[in-house]
Amino acid sequence: MQVDEEKLRKALSKPAAYGPDLDLSQYSMEAVEQPKVDEEIIERSFEVGVDLRKRGALTTFLQIDHGALYKSVQKQFEGDVELLTIEEAVRKYDWVKELMWKLRSPYEDKYTAFNALHGAGGYFLRILEDRKIHMPIQACFLMFSPGAIQSVHNIIVAEPGSEAQILTGCTSHPKVSRGLHVGITEIYVRSGARLNYTMIHKWNPGFDVRPRTGILVEDAATIIHNYIAIGYVRSFQSQPTARLVGGNSKITMNNVVYLQGSSEMDLGGEVLIEGKGDKAEIITNAVAAERAKIINRGKISCEGEGGKGHISCRGLMLSDSAEISAIPCLVSRRMDSELTHEAAIGRIAEDQLFYLMARGIPREEAESLIVRGFLDLSPMNLPEHLEQGIRRIIDMALQGF
Amino acid sequence: MLLKIEDLHVEVGDRLLLKGIDLEIGEGETHILFGPNGSGKSSLVMAIIGHPGYKVIDGRIIFKGIDITEKPTAERVKLGIGVVFQNPPKIYGIRLRELINRISGKRERGDDILKLLDRLNITENLLNRHVNVGFSGGEIKRCEIAQALAMNSDFLILDEPDSGVDVENLELIGRELSKVLEKKSALIITHHGYILRYLKPTKAHVMIQGTIICHGDPDQILNQIMREGYRWCEKCRLMRRS
Repeated sequence: MQVDEEKLRKALSKPAAYGPDLDLSQYSMEAVEQPKVDEEIIERSFEVGVDLRKRGALTTFLQIDHGALYKSVQKQFEGDVELLTIEEAVRKYDWVKELMWKLRSPYEDKYTAFNALHGAGGYFLRILEDRKIHMPIQACFLMFSPGAIQSVHNIIVAEPGSEAQILTGCTSHPKVSRGLHVGITEIYVRSGARLNYTMIHKWNPGFDVRPRTGILVEDAATIIHNYIAIGYVRSFQSQPTARLVGGNSKITMNNVVYLQGSSEMDLGGEVLIEGKGDKAEIITNAVAAERAKIINRGKISCEGEGGKGHISCRGLMLSDSAEISAIPCLVSRRMDSELTHEAAIGRIAEDQLFYLMARGIPREEAESLIVRGFLDLSPMNLPEHLEQGIRRIIDMALQGF
Repeated sequence: MLLKIEDLHVEVGDRLLLKGIDLEIGEGETHILFGPNGSGKSSLVMAIIGHPGYKVIDGRIIFKGIDITEKPTAERVKLGIGVVFQNPPKIYGIRLRELINRISGKRERGDDILKLLDRLNITENLLNRHVNVGFSGGEIKRCEIAQALAMNSDFLILDEPDSGVDVENLELIGRELSKVLEKKSALIITHHGYILRYLKPTKAHVMIQGTIICHGDPDQILNQIMREGYRWCEKCRLMRRS
């Protein structure tokens, strides 16, 4: 899509619809020299699900600050998967530019405008027609330069009939205390394709994060969009949006969040059902500890014949200084649509706690079991090793709880 | 004596629910507790296991010679008390497999646990589900009993193990319990007494309005209740009072 620079410059001062406003002049695009992939980076990437030790074996993309440091396609899938930096893809294919800013507007707010003007890096990932990639594809974005903006643009195309599992981990180097991550991700799920896309975040407490994700789901295609955030963030705001344009297509957005410290998160999900018999589900389980503040939005609109949608917002409060809001929203423009939602916020239920204690489990352990159980990963349909890995991350975060 | 309850008075909120219970259960004995709805049977279970909402205002509970009246629930369980609840809560996010592994104290399920699950017809599918979420009446009871047996408690309290259970499940539960109770002690609460077809209890008690009003032969008492209902017990209570 052609962008209008004049309009973009104007949009640079436009706050986002939700979340605290940030002053972009407080961050820089300067980068210190890129580090080597050392143990510390490997360890940190592993905490967001990306196994860099297996980078030679698995399809892997690694970007530190503004530039790609590593990319490779798993040998057995060469010719099935195309992985390029976004800059390479724009040079290689004329049509890639057409896919950019089609699912999110560059004029939406200052973060998209900044990305369209000054963004650097991101990946282009294409699963070719009818190819089934049964091993996970992993991408890691790590922020290393203090006070920097990492502003990336990713394009994913799952061509007709293809299948893949993509994992994107975003994180900050343990030594860096401040920064802003802006990630634009546009995902095209073509007819009959099946995609499992998982984004895992782990940030140092001073980081601001503004992902902007747009998804297009065509005829009989399915996407499971998972988001997992464990630990801290200074502020996070994101409202991934999806359009189901074909018939019998399906989207599930699963969010599992555990926040502590003074973290602030405004997490949404928005689906527009346009096709016949499409189904949408947004499921969020959010835990707020200490002084964490979580706003949990979900919106499903239905214009398609016999469309079905369900939103579940569940919040678990672990402290009187925390705050959780649940704001589910349903819009129907069809008599035959079926839209439902459920929202519940509460503390750990005493009857559940007592039940586990009556099985001989001491109170503290029973509490921790219930919190772990609340952060249920099973609807995410993750590969077993990844689910176990994320369980370990959750266990680490819950240590001492 | 395994369990000795002396003059137990229990309050929930401001309501006095148990008004001076005396009960003794010896090693290897199975006792039955009858009583109409709301008579305080489940409150007695909660008081024995130590539910924080059930406040003991008078009396004592002695288990294996130790006064457990003030002890936390997990400690009572450690001493050897296991409960099969009537209406257990749903525990989202915790799979039955995980819970059973944990309470049986084994990382990998031992052979005996596998056999137990097999006898109680607890399938892989059930083990993979979240505890009590979407379970049928029979599944709930079978899983409750499996948990209590996996804990290997010396003393089992079964609150209505035969309610809401179809004939096949009742037979399964009855058979398993009859075998287990040859070696253990138990207090079984039953409304209908169906479970008695499979068990040979030592003694029965009838509870009315928070007190135990009579003790006796389980079959005799059950027959009497079946013939005349709990009105008979009520009359009996009033006669004794006067």
